[in-house]
Amino acid sequence: MSSALWVAVLASALGTLLMRLLPLVWMQRRLERQANDDSLEAIPQWLSLLGPLMIAAVFGVSLMPVAPGALSWLATLIGVLVTLAVWWHKRTLGWPVAAGVAAYGVVVMLAGLAS
Amino acid sequence: MSLQATSSPSRAWLTGMREAIPLLGGYVPVAISFGLIATQAGFSAWEAVLISTLIYAGASQFLFVGMVAAGGPLWLVVAMTLLINVRHVVYAPNLAPWLTSSRWWPWLMHGLTDQVFAVAHARLPQLPASQRLGWFTGAALLAWLSWIGGTALGAVAGGELVARWALMGEILPFALPALFLVLIAPRFTSRRWSLALAITIGIALLLTMSGLTNVAIPLAAVCGALCFYSVKFVTTGKGERHE
Repeated sequence: MSSALWVAVLASALGTLLMRLLPLVWMQRRLERQANDDSLEAIPQWLSLLGPLMIAAVFGVSLMPVAPGALSWLATLIGVLVTLAVWWHKRTLGWPVAAGVAAYGVVVMLAGLAS
Repeated sequence: MSLQATSSPSRAWLTGMREAIPLLGGYVPVAISFGLIATQAGFSAWEAVLISTLIYAGASQFLFVGMVAAGGPLWLVVAMTLLINVRHVVYAPNLAPWLTSSRWWPWLMHGLTDQVFAVAHARLPQLPASQRLGWFTGAALLAWLSWIGGTALGAVAGGELVARWALMGEILPFALPALFLVLIAPRFTSRRWSLALAITIGIALLLTMSGLTNVAIPLAAVCGALCFYSVKFVTTGKGERHE
């Protein structure tokens, strides 16, 4: 890799780190100021709204199957329903994920056997 | 009491690692693909691993090696890489109220990917303050190491792995949507929130299906936020409750 390419890698890495790091420093200072000033809102409402919505968007993006097709969409639907059902009963993090992946896998493998 | 005080941080570390395990189902197959594509684009295995270690942002890494392989100008490669990652600016402020005063936090932000943010946003508020640093370090470190390890594996033996375990590469990534579903399910607390979340999910999926994966997350979240505010406006006009 040429030295120019290394500079590009380092610039991308540093820029990405700063985009993750600097907003934290800004918010920590804002929270400190807010502790001394009751009139200042701790987190702007639009920002606290974006947190859960970003997770929902990541979920939407991740729903796209690796190999899109009718069967993989069916497997996705069944996997989602099984994940939701197990979460509804257990209210934990691990079991619903394991059950969802298992259900998705069973549908994909059964479809593979049938074809 | 003192036993609990000394053992809690290490337990928090392990809890973080355990709760980040579902992320591996999505990380490892994608990292293997990245390692494979990077070597096919002319990078050595070490260079691919270093890119994953330093940049550590999936979509932008694929774009980076793709544009370099296509002979794109390096300033444009860097600009596009950063443009894709700009969504990360809203993550840390959302976690800030739950972070302790440790000096390690700013450096740990290197591990704040979409997925780690999703898990941390749900879990940090539930943890005692004394365990948050350990929990986040464990979760972020496992995710980062799996990304680096997957890249190395893909760069060295990616072609063979993809050929031999194609089905596993198709099934394991479902761990990611399953995990995110579990993380957002408790947020469906009102009709207003449910509508905003459903619209966000739908738009993100549609944009991804249209090949616009890179803009799907920020654009869908903004649409969801606009929906959230417009529903408030409509119901206020009719004199009804917001939620």
